[in-house]
Amino acid sequence: MILRAVLALAMLAAITIAPTGLKAQAPDAPIQQLLQAHGEIIAKSSRRTIGPAIDALATSGLPEAQVVLERWQAKEMWFHEETGLFVFAEEVDRSTIKIFDIADGSEIGDVPDDDYKQLKPNSGIRGLIGGALVQFQLIDPDPLNRMRALNAIERRPEAGHLAALRGTMEGEENPTIATRKARLERLLTMEFGESDQERIAAIEGFAGDLGVDVRAVLNRLVATRRSAAVEAPQSEDIARLVNPGSEDLTADEAYALLVSAELAPPRISRDAKRAALVANIENGAVAGIEVATLDSEGARDLAYAALADAGVVEPVATEAQVAEALDAHTFFDRYVAAPPGVAQAAQAALNAIELRLGLNEAADLALDALSLASIYFLAAIGLAITFGVMRVINMAHGEFIMMGAYTGYVVQLFVPDYTLSILIALPLAFLVTFGAGVAMERLVIRWLYHRPLETLLATFGISIALQQLAKNIFGTQARPLTAPGWLDGSLVFNDVVSISYIRIAIFVLALLFLALFLFVMNRTRLGLEVRAVTQNPRMAASMGINPDRINMLTFGFGSGIAGIAGVAIGLYAKVTSEMGQDYIVQSFMTVVVGGVGNIWGTLLGASLVGLLQKGIEWMNPSNTLAAQTYMILFIILFIQFRPRGIIALKGRAAEA
Amino acid sequence: MSKTLVTTVAAGALLATAIPAMAQDASCPIKVGVLHSLSGTMAISETTLKDTMEMLVEQQNDAGGLLGCELEAVVVDPASDWPLFAEKARELLTVQEVDVIFGSWTSVSRKSVLPVLEELNGLMFYPVQYEGEESSKNVFYTGAAPNQQAIPATDYFLEELGVEKFALLGTDYVYPRTTNNILESYLKDKGIAAEDIFVNYTPFGHSDWSKIVADVVALGADGKKVGVISTINGDANVGFYKELAAAGISADDIPVVAFSVGEEELSGLDTSNLVGHLAAWNYFQSADSAENEAWVAAWKERMGEERVTNDPMEAHYIGFNMWVNAVTEAGTTDVDAVRTAMYGQEFPNLTGGTAVMLPNHHLAKPVLIGEIQEDGQFDIISQTDEVPGDAWTDYLPESAVLVSDWQELECGMFNTQTETCVQIKSNY
Repeated sequence: MILRAVLALAMLAAITIAPTGLKAQAPDAPIQQLLQAHGEIIAKSSRRTIGPAIDALATSGLPEAQVVLERWQAKEMWFHEETGLFVFAEEVDRSTIKIFDIADGSEIGDVPDDDYKQLKPNSGIRGLIGGALVQFQLIDPDPLNRMRALNAIERRPEAGHLAALRGTMEGEENPTIATRKARLERLLTMEFGESDQERIAAIEGFAGDLGVDVRAVLNRLVATRRSAAVEAPQSEDIARLVNPGSEDLTADEAYALLVSAELAPPRISRDAKRAALVANIENGAVAGIEVATLDSEGARDLAYAALADAGVVEPVATEAQVAEALDAHTFFDRYVAAPPGVAQAAQAALNAIELRLGLNEAADLALDALSLASIYFLAAIGLAITFGVMRVINMAHGEFIMMGAYTGYVVQLFVPDYTLSILIALPLAFLVTFGAGVAMERLVIRWLYHRPLETLLATFGISIALQQLAKNIFGTQARPLTAPGWLDGSLVFNDVVSISYIRIAIFVLALLFLALFLFVMNRTRLGLEVRAVTQNPRMAASMGINPDRINMLTFGFGSGIAGIAGVAIGLYAKVTSEMGQDYIVQSFMTVVVGGVGNIWGTLLGASLVGLLQKGIEWMNPSNTLAAQTYMILFIILFIQFRPRGIIALKGRAAEA
Repeated sequence: MSKTLVTTVAAGALLATAIPAMAQDASCPIKVGVLHSLSGTMAISETTLKDTMEMLVEQQNDAGGLLGCELEAVVVDPASDWPLFAEKARELLTVQEVDVIFGSWTSVSRKSVLPVLEELNGLMFYPVQYEGEESSKNVFYTGAAPNQQAIPATDYFLEELGVEKFALLGTDYVYPRTTNNILESYLKDKGIAAEDIFVNYTPFGHSDWSKIVADVVALGADGKKVGVISTINGDANVGFYKELAAAGISADDIPVVAFSVGEEELSGLDTSNLVGHLAAWNYFQSADSAENEAWVAAWKERMGEERVTNDPMEAHYIGFNMWVNAVTEAGTTDVDAVRTAMYGQEFPNLTGGTAVMLPNHHLAKPVLIGEIQEDGQFDIISQTDEVPGDAWTDYLPESAVLVSDWQELECGMFNTQTETCVQIKSNY
């Protein structure tokens, strides 16, 4: 230790002389000495060994301790590789750092970073430092620091935090922090309160609360250990009795428990028993029993028992003895984490919220399903026009979605304000895909009306070509389409039910487009003409409607809506050249299940597909791919029984 | 009579082997096959590696070539089409007659090339982290085996972050499934109960992550610390990380460590909400060494300032340089001679320290764990010593007894219990 200090001083002299003009560092400042005493473990930077260093700093009472801990946590502390002296440093450029004295924060100067090594505490160590900082930060004038202290307590609650927290609750001015402090105080009381009454009161105070933090504490309190005894003790800390042979505790597990508690002798496998017998054959007999008579399991058990009596082998249990031992003992779970009263209160609280928890989980699932349904609806609404109304099987529909998303990406390249860029991107995506739709209708589709097979093949070819075009222009790596800041985060009802704002926005957008579709189809001249043309083009033509023009506009309208859907989908998922493929199958499924030619059918179809998908995912949470497979199977069955979908068109419109 | 016959045959055999070897010595230029997809889904990742190989060949030529010859990169495009990988490999070996191949990315493309390489005795360097459980005589695996990436990252979760409950999320194909199998049995060995391990597989390009993220959050309800190990591949990561950010999950509460997300993948994401989440690799661009600085500078100069370097590129860098040194040592590009010279080859890797080629055709490399930063780069917070790559994992009972040693045992699948070579070819 002394040697190390001398060396440190010598090296310090060397560095202070070498780069002239640098201010001297104070190697004998108490804080530096303290860190030096723990230099090795600090440099090693492992959560499992760092404890003493952090504790020493936290309890040192040195005024600099808080700053040192904070800057260490922020990865701003470096040390000299030879002297081991610690400094604060800021990076000037790739190979130069500006260093500061840790004792008084005074600048020492710019040095090359080759001799210095940055301390990079990992998030485990940062958590420990955060815990040590609680005592300083709880009374810090900066509300942000007080928040940090509360976060640290939440992540790693300790008994010592309770008193510290209570001490600072009086003078808290910030109302948000005061509320958090009050809640945290109740949480800590549940776990570390002094008297059982106090803890039970805290538990009852949280009645009905679904917070993950509350449930985490409650679950910790009701932890049990399983044990066995001849007679179940009549103490209060028994949580429940367990029957061996039940689902909770198989007979084998129960017996293993008895063996480990030394309440019963171990079992032996048949082979091992046989081997033991064979090893002890003397003159054609085992322990005096003729080998020839050992032709049944029972006889071999007897022979083995005789050997055990003679002390030749370890005594073991036979099947009968196992059953007997299981019968003779009671198995029970015993509360180990809290006094019985507290644990029972916690268990009661958990039981009480079980139903509410289930209901809320169902509500969350329903929200997810609704959100998925609105995404499918948005993706399918364009197809409801081109396929549903015009009966054109457009396999390139997904690529129109992709074009819309890329339009959004390109707009963001030129307009850095995210809100404005989305507002520009939505109509622009409509225009781009409207143009693409019109071009495709003019060049390809109009030559193929009433020839569905050729249309299918032609549009499939176009979809592949469009994908490759996108790859050539934008590359295959996903491109960012960033949502404006006010759509970040989620709407949180409680810790179970929440939904991100971006999904709410998509839901709203889907409703808007439903309204737009209904308005255009039922209230405008275009809609009237579209309906006329689709029902009977020749009759419509003789009434002065130009079917060619109407077909072109309708197809463009459907494609344009797909483009807008692309912007919305790109915001919540990703923008790649293949994103269209993810939605084309679902879109067709939605339209077909709902009933071709009816927008309400599309809406119902999307809801059905969304609900079904989430329901199957809930039943089989480990494989989302399987959920999609089951869903498609279900849809195939469904179409068998209702070939025209949920809402089937009737009358003359159906034959058109 | 018979003796002379034997000598004649032996001499003939000798001649037969000597002539091609001599011919190879003299055949200039030395051809380096590059078998990476330049079109289709894998193009973006693999195109980068093609550019890397062209840069390495160019650098070597500037440094005076090899055995007095110029090097020539022969680039073919297997178009992300797995059977086409086999066709193109055959073309490289028989039509172009290349001396070595650098190529493949996905496990399935590697598996489709293996029979061709073994039939024609070719030599390939495979640069990507993979699931292990394979060792071909004709392939050098310069990427990470599970024990060089997945296992150390899991240890980091257990020991440094104190994670008690694991969510293993993966895309549904061979690499995540095999890796998660290994991790599941490893975690159980470490005393994690089966009900504390949540596994989920999603299709390629999955985008609807809200329920899975909610499930992960709900895991924390029993008061245990939750961590996510992600083998999610490709585009699906974008939606996953967006949903994580929207749910406000901080890396301090639920850390996520990814095995397939590197600098290149993060360039498609806004990382400001992902700061602190983790990735495990053998290389990060932010590694602080003189070699790496030169490498990054050369790459940016060639490809543009905004381009990033990543782990498979380093694997090719090490593999190519080891091959050059092995050829120089052997004095020939003959596959068997080079293979023998490869064992024990050492080359400084870009993160400091030295990579060593082991007799099981894997490298000993350090394992790095990095935290995502706002600029899309990684801050390296943990770096181990060199970990020797293990072809057959010790954590699955059926492969724990297997070892690979092409130097002493001349077998890639040697059962240590029965002391027999299970098979030489890698058609499993």
